[in-house]
Amino acid sequence: MALLEIKNLSKSFGNLKAVDDVSFTVPEGSVFGLIGRNGAGKTTTIRMMMNIYLPDNGEVLLEGAKIGQDFRNKVGYLPEERGLYKKMKVLDTLLYFAALKGSEGKQIEKDAITYLKMFNLEDRKGSKVEDLSKGNQQKVQFITTVLHNPQFLILDEPFSGLDPINTDLLTNLIMKFKEEGKIIILSTHLMDFAERLCNHIAMIEKGKLILNGSLNEIKANWAAKNITLEYSGDISFLNNIDMVDNLTLNNNNAIIKMKQPNLEQELLKLLVQNDINVHKFIANDISLHEIFVSLAGENSTSEGSN
Amino acid sequence: MLINRRVITVFNREIKDKLLSKSFIIMTLLVPVFLFGILAFQTFVMTFEGKEKVNIHVISSNDKITSEISNIFNDPKFTEDRYTFKALTIPKDSVAKYLEANKSNILEEKITGIIFLPDSVMSNKEIKYYSKNPNNLKLFDKVRSKINNVILSEYFKDKNLSKAQLEFALKNVNFNPYRITKEQDIRKEGYGNTVVAFLFSFLLYFSLIMIGTQMMRSVIEEKTNRIVEVLLSSVSSLDLLTGKILGTAVTGLIQMAIWLIPVFVVISTSIFVLPEDFILSISIGTLLAFLLNYFIGLVTFLGLFAAVGSIFDNDQDAQQGIWPLMMLIMIPFFIAMGIVSNPENSIARITSFVPFGSIIVMPTRAASADVPVFQIIIANIINLITMGAVFVLAAKIYKTGLLFTGKKPKWSEVAKWLKS
Repeated sequence: MALLEIKNLSKSFGNLKAVDDVSFTVPEGSVFGLIGRNGAGKTTTIRMMMNIYLPDNGEVLLEGAKIGQDFRNKVGYLPEERGLYKKMKVLDTLLYFAALKGSEGKQIEKDAITYLKMFNLEDRKGSKVEDLSKGNQQKVQFITTVLHNPQFLILDEPFSGLDPINTDLLTNLIMKFKEEGKIIILSTHLMDFAERLCNHIAMIEKGKLILNGSLNEIKANWAAKNITLEYSGDISFLNNIDMVDNLTLNNNNAIIKMKQPNLEQELLKLLVQNDINVHKFIANDISLHEIFVSLAGENSTSEGSN
Repeated sequence: MLINRRVITVFNREIKDKLLSKSFIIMTLLVPVFLFGILAFQTFVMTFEGKEKVNIHVISSNDKITSEISNIFNDPKFTEDRYTFKALTIPKDSVAKYLEANKSNILEEKITGIIFLPDSVMSNKEIKYYSKNPNNLKLFDKVRSKINNVILSEYFKDKNLSKAQLEFALKNVNFNPYRITKEQDIRKEGYGNTVVAFLFSFLLYFSLIMIGTQMMRSVIEEKTNRIVEVLLSSVSSLDLLTGKILGTAVTGLIQMAIWLIPVFVVISTSIFVLPEDFILSISIGTLLAFLLNYFIGLVTFLGLFAAVGSIFDNDQDAQQGIWPLMMLIMIPFFIAMGIVSNPENSIARITSFVPFGSIIVMPTRAASADVPVFQIIIANIINLITMGAVFVLAAKIYKTGLLFTGKKPKWSEVAKWLKS
């Protein structure tokens, strides 16, 4: 069952259509990856989901009903642009943001200490936020997002500013929350993280939804027509071959999108005939990164020709 | 519901953040010190002025006048350690020579001045004063009635008056101020209420600007530090604004109540007995009304300051945007200052019923003159309506402004936010 439904959301700022008729559903038990380039409309979409922006059109439904304060209480939101009260002490900060969600009392204080221990910050609980390093402030911000034990987590670029150790810590936490059955919406431009963590993907480009579905389906769909190549020689002739739909070149690497599935034998033959040295030939597999690049790349070409 | 759990959480944080802050404690202590400091400084300046020695020659050709003046003017109570009077009898034809001879003494300030009583003084009371700085009003005020008395004594000497009659003739008229109140009472009035009226208008002016600016800064801080997005994922902008305004207004109210404790102690106990001239004829009711008025005023202006803070994302831009608000506080303050000298002037009367103006002008008027209770009630109703209207408008601007970043919006854009 779809817990959270995003229906025909649109939002314009002046002449700019930031989000244009975007619809998707976030199923129960999913880690939902919202991907796209900078300025594609991810944050605006999330802000409308959080009721921070009023959409020009469309609605966000929680179990069929329009979202309101009830949803706000169940959600933990880590915005892309982080912010805390600089003069406030760490523990006070955590308790304040939890109280705003309606979570107060001894248990929350215990939980806060547990999280601080987990992030190696227990000895800083009485420090002012401004005395913490940027990375530590990020950790405090993350704890404020999850302390009230929300059913939904909306994380906008959660890994920015974290060192590899803390990135791993956060990744493990997200996996743990996933196992607990929390619904996690992850906005990121780091495709390997999205691929590792998410089971659903939606991609927004220039305000429009251009990809939506389970990661496995998407990958299967793309992989069947996809060939990744490492080579030496000139393969630009492939542009004129009928069965090739699209060719993305990068140094001596190429992503080749075929018009039909199961054409890899014919392609390989063609390459050998044309005296191309093939170092690596991978068929029926594709990374999210490649899908992203070819989708976003396609878009920027069409922009160039406009 | 305007007040809910989230509003109370925000309210608690504002109270904790402000009430325990160093700046609150410092300001609460500093303002009374500052006010008393001004009074003490004035007194100091006045006494300092008094240390300067004044050396006056009084000359006349009438021996009796000279000796009489010498008697009265050399009384230590009159000379106060700083005046030296030398009374001299100079024959009529030597006066010019005497002045000529002492010209250099005057220029070198060995002699402050020469008071010359010609014989004609007995018919026209015109006397002359020669000095480097001849417009010495303080000196004139000091010696005027004394010289007048000497002349009058001399004048009535052979007119066969009894001692009582003469004393009556020499006595000056004395003004005794009485206040007519609405209860038709007539009471003796001191300067006390003028001081309170001044105190009221100054405190209102000062703290509205101070606390308003704090509010604006706090909104800008939440905006520039991007706290606002986290906050808005938990509470609505209306909850946030309500909690902030109420928290800040209650803090302000507590501060004002602390400042008014001395006034309260003076009017309700006999711990301090003020001199008759400084007796305060205000009631505890007036004080409570003042606090209520202040609270309404704070809520009104805090809404406006928060709205302005939300429009801008840095202090410099906001300082420029704040001037219309400053005018709303400063103009009534200057009108209120005028009240202190004339409580019932018509501008003050009108302003005490004009939205925003009445917040400062009405309490000042009520402290310095007897204003009918129904007028105070009307002013408060006007204030409450203004407060409600401002809150609705401020909430609209605040809601859109909070998430508006980048370039400074035009006023026409802000007007559009109001319509949404």
